Amino acid sequence: MLKIPLVEPGTVGPCPVASDALQGIKRQQTNPARWNGAGWPAFVATLRAGGVELAEGSVACGVYATDAGGTAYGLPHGVVIARNAGQVSFLLKTAQTHRVPVTVRGGGLTTEGESVAFGGVLLDMIGMSRVVSIDAAGLTVRTEAGIFWHSLAEELRRENLDYLSAPLNMTSSVGGTLGVGGIDVNSARLGCSADQAISLQVVTPSGEIVECSDSENGELFQRVILGYGQFGIITEATLRIRPYTPLRMYYYYYSSLRVAIEDLQILDRNDASDYSGILTIMDCAVNLLVAFDSDEREAAFHAHWKSRLRGYGETGFALCMAGHYALRPWKFREALYLLQRKREVFPEFRRAEYMRDKKMYDRTVVFSRAVWKHWGSKQMVIPDLATPADKFIEAVERGNAVCRKYFTHYTLYCVGIKLRPEHLPHYEMSCIPPGAEGWAYGCEFEPMIEGGIYSRDHFQSFKNAIYDIGVDMGASYYRFGGMMKGYIRRVFGDALVDRHLAMKRKADPAMILNRDVIF
Amino acid sequence: MPRHKICSGILSPRGHRFLLENFGPLPRETLHEPTSCRGVTFHFPSMVSMPMDFFHGTTPHLHRKYSDHWAIQRSGAEVHDQTSFSGLEEKGDHVLVHARKHGEPVEYRARQVIGADGPSSLVVRAVYPDYTKQIPWFFVGQKFHEIIDCPLSADYFHFWFHPGLGHYTWSHARDGRQIVGVGFKRGDNFAKKHAVVQNYLEEKHGVRLKPADDDHEGCAENFGPSLINRYVFGKGNVLVTGQAAGFLNMIGEGMSCALHSGAISGEAIVEARLRNIPVQEMYRRMIASEVRRCSDQWNPLKIAFDKPHEADFPAALMALSWRDRAKVLRDMWRFVVLFKEFKWGRQIARAALQRPLVGGYSMQRWL
Repeated sequence: MLKIPLVEPGTVGPCPVASDALQGIKRQQTNPARWNGAGWPAFVATLRAGGVELAEGSVACGVYATDAGGTAYGLPHGVVIARNAGQVSFLLKTAQTHRVPVTVRGGGLTTEGESVAFGGVLLDMIGMSRVVSIDAAGLTVRTEAGIFWHSLAEELRRENLDYLSAPLNMTSSVGGTLGVGGIDVNSARLGCSADQAISLQVVTPSGEIVECSDSENGELFQRVILGYGQFGIITEATLRIRPYTPLRMYYYYYSSLRVAIEDLQILDRNDASDYSGILTIMDCAVNLLVAFDSDEREAAFHAHWKSRLRGYGETGFALCMAGHYALRPWKFREALYLLQRKREVFPEFRRAEYMRDKKMYDRTVVFSRAVWKHWGSKQMVIPDLATPADKFIEAVERGNAVCRKYFTHYTLYCVGIKLRPEHLPHYEMSCIPPGAEGWAYGCEFEPMIEGGIYSRDHFQSFKNAIYDIGVDMGASYYRFGGMMKGYIRRVFGDALVDRHLAMKRKADPAMILNRDVIF
Repeated sequence: MPRHKICSGILSPRGHRFLLENFGPLPRETLHEPTSCRGVTFHFPSMVSMPMDFFHGTTPHLHRKYSDHWAIQRSGAEVHDQTSFSGLEEKGDHVLVHARKHGEPVEYRARQVIGADGPSSLVVRAVYPDYTKQIPWFFVGQKFHEIIDCPLSADYFHFWFHPGLGHYTWSHARDGRQIVGVGFKRGDNFAKKHAVVQNYLEEKHGVRLKPADDDHEGCAENFGPSLINRYVFGKGNVLVTGQAAGFLNMIGEGMSCALHSGAISGEAIVEARLRNIPVQEMYRRMIASEVRRCSDQWNPLKIAFDKPHEADFPAALMALSWRDRAKVLRDMWRFVVLFKEFKWGRQIARAALQRPLVGGYSMQRWL
């Protein structure tokens, strides 16, 4: 047998080929090999003796074979459904002793295999999905971290309350979201979902149950928030909430990405709306959506900002498009696609059951339904770029060119994220790009797969082309873990990554927790 | 295992990245000396030479005996060593594979079979018995020489566009020796062809070599399928991949295509089961991206107006004087004429025109 040198997780091995081979690319395996199962029987025996229920076999494990990305496949050796912090603590302590990898899964909405277990234990957090308490006066909620956002919203609505910001896909879990960010169409005003966390109950990789916040165990809090699951499992979270309000939404249409983004940034900089974002059909129809929680804010927008926007209304834009395609008859297929997409998607945002007096009464459901129905497919390929405000237009335009090269149809989703100066330590080595001040901007580049069949290599080449732009521009990414982790050292630099790796090794000596996600 | 493998060992940067991402950094034992190759140098009868660096830096010079073994170990695949394929029977919902282990017959029952057994594939012969008679075959052989004096840069893979030398003529350094390789239509004499090349190198390039060592090697090659989009992807539950399917890029490197197409064949089986789609349909739709990538390298329109290769031929050409550019184009044309007898011209032209019109290459031509 060939002697294959062991490479410690997170380290970059030597390259005997040549220093200038694969320029810029770190010598790091990014698609994980299956864990070899050493010590599994003893581990299982210890767990079961401790009263932890662990399911084995293809039926139990097969459910977790992939994630929303649908391009990474792996099977755990066994599955544990999370029940309480004590059970999770015992699991991690035992896993440390036996050096068994533990992969944590919430909604499984990762796209790069981050919540796929390549052997070891898969810990499914959906067993911890209760709302613990709601403080209506103090506007906070304490919830178990495996809860989906839509379930949390449902509980809060009974009290006429609402979460502050959450990802548009409501089947993501609270714990998973706090670990990566969570971007909403109000993030330009309120920050990302992770910014709404006041305190957390965390089980550390060595099995300690710790309550942490900015004032208590602050260092752990900083690492767990936006920490991609490396420094602990969030079992409970206290979040800021707000009184529930319906919202009124307006749509402005552009044929230029640049102009639409400039207008979006004007609105964000001037706090002119409560919600803002851009959703496109390729780069042909660019929709700037603007929404308001209150009549006062809406009136202020109409008085001061509406006239400055360069977008069209629906009818005006339709006329523009008609003129555009009349002069370019060879693009009739593109025109037909726009028309078809408009007919399918637009009514989804105006469904009568969610609208009263032209106000949207349940954006949670409206957006989540629309996302799954019109953007989701068996495979979700959504590479993204996150940049400071001044670099955003260039990043989107370059990413758009890549989309055009690889796919016929695609959509772009752009949104701003208000940065909170007091949370700067949270943002280190996260989707918040280094150097961003005030706002960061993110764009997702999502091909419309529409039943098409592509190889993983095709998707990977597309994602690499987008991520290479990020390396070139000094940006960051929302989805940089799992199969894309080869980009982490490229964008953040060795010094920062090595510092985090040292912290990880200290916290997780056997490197068991979410082993293949970041390091 | 490990077993000997005939190969230049020059892996493209894309193949290197695939190995890195899936199996980790290459250990030193998997590489020859020099461990890397900076690019390709094209030589022409008019004595113009065009060195071209690979786009993403140097690329590994693999010792296939050990690099294959390393990749197999890293993959976790179960290996049935010293077992040779002898035939198969398609049974509708499964395939019976007949093999021999230490001379004794053994039988495997599989839901799907992937044939990745190189250009003269026994799996292809089992599925399409007449296929081998339908395509032209070449022989590619290489001999190893102790070096007396070699002005050819050891950093590059050298290739000659010279109709007088053969259909595929190359040389590069390996472990202190110089490889002299030649490819020609099957039926010619390897020793004679090789002697012509060795003399040419000495006369024109001052390459002085000792007589070849005894460890020469050679194999049959199928250059045609990727030029004319005539790939063989199998039938029923039998998938064919890699060079067995016809993947070979323009510098005669089949490894990177084999790695990617092999991975796609495995993915196709998984996806076909998950989506309840016939595996051949799934495979053919998924492999289209690899076909585009490989056939683009042979597509004259792509070569003229795009950058389908991993080295920048147009830039290297433009770096020459007008006179040398003319010489190069003339020599290339004369070299292309060497392939006239295979009647590929119209098929190449048809594929080249299809590419911009339909965004790919016709699946109708695949077997």
